[in-house]
Amino acid sequence: MGNLTKEQIQDRIREEAKKALATGEVSCVVGWTKTRFPDKTKPFFAYTDAECDLLVWNEYCINSTAKYALDDRYPEQKIGLITRGCDSRALNRMLKDNQLKRENLYIIGVVCDGKENPVCDGCQHKNPLTYDVLIGEPVEETINEKRFTEVEAFEKLSADEKYEYWAKQYDKCIHCYACRNACPACNCVECYADQYRVGWQGKAADREQNQVYGLTRVFHVGDRCIECGECERVCPMHLPIMRQTKKMLKDINDLFGNYECGLPDDSKPVLGEYKLEDPDEFM
Amino acid sequence: MSVKKDSSWEPVILAFCCNWCTYTGADTAGLNRMKYPENVRVIRVPCSSRVNPQFILRAFQKGADGVLVCGCHPGDCHYATGNYYTRRRFMLMQRLLEYNGIDPKRFQAKWISGSEAAKFRDTVIKVSAEIKALGPNTKFAEGYYAQNEGGNE
Amino acid sequence: MYLAKKDLEKALQTLSQKAVVFAPILETIEDKVSDAKTVEKKFMPYFDGAEVALEGFNTVKPPKDVLFPNVEKMYKYKTGAGAYIMELLPEDSQKIIFGIRPCDMRSIDSMDKVFLTKDYVDSYYAKRRENVTIVAFGCLEPSRTCFCDSMGLDPNQAPTADLMMNVAADSEFTICNDCGTKVLTDDGKYILTPQTEKGKALLEQLKELLSDGGESYQDTKCSLHIVKAENLDEKLSKMFEHPIWEKVTKGCIGCGTCTFVCPTCYCFDIDNENHGAEGCKYRCWDSCMFSDYTRMAGGANPRPTKKERLRNRYLHKLEFFNERYGETLCVGCGRCIESCPAHLDISDFIEKASLVEIDASDYSEANYSEGRM
Repeated sequence: MGNLTKEQIQDRIREEAKKALATGEVSCVVGWTKTRFPDKTKPFFAYTDAECDLLVWNEYCINSTAKYALDDRYPEQKIGLITRGCDSRALNRMLKDNQLKRENLYIIGVVCDGKENPVCDGCQHKNPLTYDVLIGEPVEETINEKRFTEVEAFEKLSADEKYEYWAKQYDKCIHCYACRNACPACNCVECYADQYRVGWQGKAADREQNQVYGLTRVFHVGDRCIECGECERVCPMHLPIMRQTKKMLKDINDLFGNYECGLPDDSKPVLGEYKLEDPDEFM
Repeated sequence: MSVKKDSSWEPVILAFCCNWCTYTGADTAGLNRMKYPENVRVIRVPCSSRVNPQFILRAFQKGADGVLVCGCHPGDCHYATGNYYTRRRFMLMQRLLEYNGIDPKRFQAKWISGSEAAKFRDTVIKVSAEIKALGPNTKFAEGYYAQNEGGNE
Repeated sequence: MYLAKKDLEKALQTLSQKAVVFAPILETIEDKVSDAKTVEKKFMPYFDGAEVALEGFNTVKPPKDVLFPNVEKMYKYKTGAGAYIMELLPEDSQKIIFGIRPCDMRSIDSMDKVFLTKDYVDSYYAKRRENVTIVAFGCLEPSRTCFCDSMGLDPNQAPTADLMMNVAADSEFTICNDCGTKVLTDDGKYILTPQTEKGKALLEQLKELLSDGGESYQDTKCSLHIVKAENLDEKLSKMFEHPIWEKVTKGCIGCGTCTFVCPTCYCFDIDNENHGAEGCKYRCWDSCMFSDYTRMAGGANPRPTKKERLRNRYLHKLEFFNERYGETLCVGCGRCIESCPAHLDISDFIEKASLVEIDASDYSEANYSEGRM
């Protein structure tokens, strides 16, 4: 984490948040604050200096702040966001999907030291990739050698074993759509699943409907997944959702070359473009 | 998982065919009195890229034993680029379904042009035989269709 | 009457002969590619060899689906030749919910009020309810989100259950390796107290396993104590447009987790499933946190954002239900606190709202509704 302690970062966050509010251009700063449980923080919206002093920074700041920028797509003032590496990739995702305007965001980047969240072990970008102001010295980025090991191991199972595993997982699903609502790639103004009278998605939470929902969502976000792990973190029934999206990413890497989402480049989602020289298996 | 032992069982195969190439190809096959297995049900779509991955999931749920997506050869798309998207989409879809336990033979894609009536016939014969060998699909199938012997409503 | 812990399995087997016994069972899903197997505790029918976990924390999902299933077919039909409509009532089989906690028992009382009183009897619910016998289990160790005693419950007693089970005061415990909670040793004993005729009948079935014994049981206290105003419901009726709502609902991500893990959420939707000329009508759980819950034909939505939706959920729990049925709908089980992705906390809201100072009818809906449209 380089040069700053957790307390110093927390102080800097409060300081930067106050500075941002003082400019008059930023309406609020989204960060985290304490809950009654020492090992939980909750997303928090600071509108005043006094509220800025309630912002905290510790290893339990696990909620993504980025998705809250979508609550108001046409804000009168900028929205301030305390942004870790994963949040910045989430913002890039939504910016690239034309769901947000960069000029509506004020991004306070914080170099992250990893949180109490299993997905952080495989994090490749602890440094925010997009920011207006950065807190902390950027650290050296790591390559996650084990990015696809779990997927590779799962691929080796027999077809029936794979089906059985996923069917049991989808049996658990309660159709709460937390994975969708937490996912920065799930940024449709109206989700197909909310249009259930149209008939795409049945409302019953049984195996068949859950399978359709699960696979449709995976396929829809699979080529735009930033691997932040929010879907898995928020799932109240603990479904291994990342194992599906990572499969998509692995295939994309194998078939169409190195691919990672949420980076501040001008690449398009894989399924939104094509190359003439793509491999062809359908001749 | 119970496999129907009935020897008279015939698979239900859904073929999404592009209006401009494959559907015409299937037409030509008919005009030329070519014989191919009748367990393929052709659905005409404006372009192979019209086929939403959800169509395939729903087809399996509603009793299809196999799904075939057919379109123009790359470069020949009536809309210039549609089938390039199809190519990427269904290469990934096939792998994702395999990852979820569906044999890749049950979901296939093929490029068949308007003049390739024989290729259409051969593809259908081949796919039909492959799916017959695999037996009825029980994965993803909805309870209703599993009980009612599937898809022949 | 005493039941020794070592006889619990036998007791469940005995009961299973005459009824389907739903008990808190640990279900393991093996994962062949990593060591992390998922273990979930849930109410499911008892089978031989099931890993029953009466003690420990409560289940993630409440057992309400025994009485009010997630998906329930109501009738089936066919059009055209041979048209018919056939009602599909639940089967006439006996069920036992074994080891329900006092909070969940109280939630069933609330559902009884909804589905069986005020001049309307829901035939599906009624049919299931009359065939269910409930054995409640006094909590041994509350989880950190348990606040039922602040909501007026006693974690040791479920007065409306057919049979009450408590851990005898002189029992010994060990700490479970997997879950880190207190469990009874095999020498431990449960005290069984019948509270209704159905409960007595159950005891009769188990009599060979029981022995006479004292009455004193382990007294458990909730871990979370919150401040709740006596007249919170009245107060909330004046707070419809209070700025507190803006604050407490900001973090919500709008998923339905809280409603689906809640033991007292009973909203449902009715939809149909058609297969050609045949089909069926079913009802399934719905959630007031979803946009389509209040969306009308034509697209107008009186609850357009998460603020209105979460406000409705909290007010339903704490105000509307009081007005209609005279009791609070939140039973303090703490499930939504533990499961909420955004770490929202209804107990925190209850405290905040209890401390709010308001002048009479300052923020009531009526004051605001004029000229609002």
